[in-house]
Amino acid sequence: MIELLATRYAYLLMFVLLGIGLYMTIASQNLVKKLIGVNLFQTAIFLFFVAVAYVEVDGEPGGSPVVPATENPASSDLILASPLPHVIVLTAIVVGIALTAVGLALIVRIYSEYGTLREDTLREVRADE
Amino acid sequence: MADSRSTGYEDTYTESQVILTAVKVIAPFTLTYGMFMTLHGADTPGGSFQGGAIIGVTVLMLAFAFGIEPTRQWLKNSVIVSLVAGGVAIFVGVGLATMALGGNFLQYELFDTELGIPDGTKWGMEAIEIGGIALIVAGVVITLFFATAAGFTPEGRSYRTDSTDTDDEVITDD
Amino acid sequence: MSLVAYTLVAFILVTAVATALFRDVLSAIVVFGAYSLGMAILYTLLLAPDVAMTEAAIGAGVTTILLLLTIARTSRPSTERLFEPINVPALVIVGAFVLVLVTQLLPEMYAVGDPAAPVWSNPEVTQAYLEQTYRDTGVQNAVTAVLAAYRGFDTFGEAVVVFAAGIATLLVLKREVFA
Repeated sequence: MIELLATRYAYLLMFVLLGIGLYMTIASQNLVKKLIGVNLFQTAIFLFFVAVAYVEVDGEPGGSPVVPATENPASSDLILASPLPHVIVLTAIVVGIALTAVGLALIVRIYSEYGTLREDTLREVRADE
Repeated sequence: MADSRSTGYEDTYTESQVILTAVKVIAPFTLTYGMFMTLHGADTPGGSFQGGAIIGVTVLMLAFAFGIEPTRQWLKNSVIVSLVAGGVAIFVGVGLATMALGGNFLQYELFDTELGIPDGTKWGMEAIEIGGIALIVAGVVITLFFATAAGFTPEGRSYRTDSTDTDDEVITDD
Repeated sequence: MSLVAYTLVAFILVTAVATALFRDVLSAIVVFGAYSLGMAILYTLLLAPDVAMTEAAIGAGVTTILLLLTIARTSRPSTERLFEPINVPALVIVGAFVLVLVTQLLPEMYAVGDPAAPVWSNPEVTQAYLEQTYRDTGVQNAVTAVLAAYRGFDTFGEAVVVFAAGIATLLVLKREVFA
């Protein structure tokens, strides 16, 4: 059991972070904190992709994905992390911040419209309309 | 204090000698580092997404040190527009150029075979990295910062033009 | 896995829990910045320097600044208590979710860094990229090669999404100037 958890620590961390992010989006009444929760959930997924790409042979970690400058590299030089998940995460981080900014702009609009950022107060105000 | 909604920037800006000095020293290095990362992303870790973000963050640092409104006036709107829109245009342009040469979208090796540019694939990639993605990311980071800093004011559409479009202010509360 | 990695994992867990529990939004934002930085260092240990740089610049830097600007533009509720009260129903649901993932999914996954894992051992994806990158494109950084050449059209879509999100922010805030 301990062996299982120790060798899969990154995935375990990812599951816990998924839980924390989900808890924040459900339980927090503040809209800004909800958005932070979404961001936390998102970084957990990034961690999954990066952990999947990682490689080590006999406990020795490989290299970062920078290949040697030869036409036909030896396979012993190619114990490198997989570049494809890195690319997906890279673009996802930049898209994530752009979408977070849209969410924050919506929050600013909600505040100027209703004067509150709390979800329960917002429900009451909207029910009264 | 938490409820005092400020409408401008000057009231929230306080000049701090520590931040001002630190930013004056650090900013040239951050800009250089961001450009190094963008320009040298082909052979070392790094690339245009990271480099563009760091170039954008340099402007954010300047805004923190010198105040957001002075930075906004120093950095003209047309600069940001040309960064963001120009980046997308260069990216599309490189893609369409390869199509004009008779290939597919972003088929870089045509620069080599059709135009005779040595290492055409590499230079095509550098073109969309440096000219496309880095400009878009830097421009969007700056845009998001200034947009969020300005917040939402129902009456004035922007702080720069405060005399135009007054018909927005006609709000009847029925 | 070294002592550094264990310390980092503990740091990330503590900052994540603190982000969730702090009642003051400003404290939560600052702790979230620290969390992002810890995450960036963990990415470096997991051999992803490109991702780590992006996370450090954008996750720890830009996200924190935008969140701070938002609470400066809206309100920051004054608080007496340090932590939020625990929402028990939400905690039960989330706990069940995590429990199912850990007990059912975790034993089925490959160990972190196992060369037999399909992502890494697949000769048609990862191995092909690593072998052909320099021959095909002439660049050494395989991440750049995949980003700009092999998946260039995908990256084009991402860049346009970023552009569109910038425009959307301006639209939501009813602004007509970029700066």
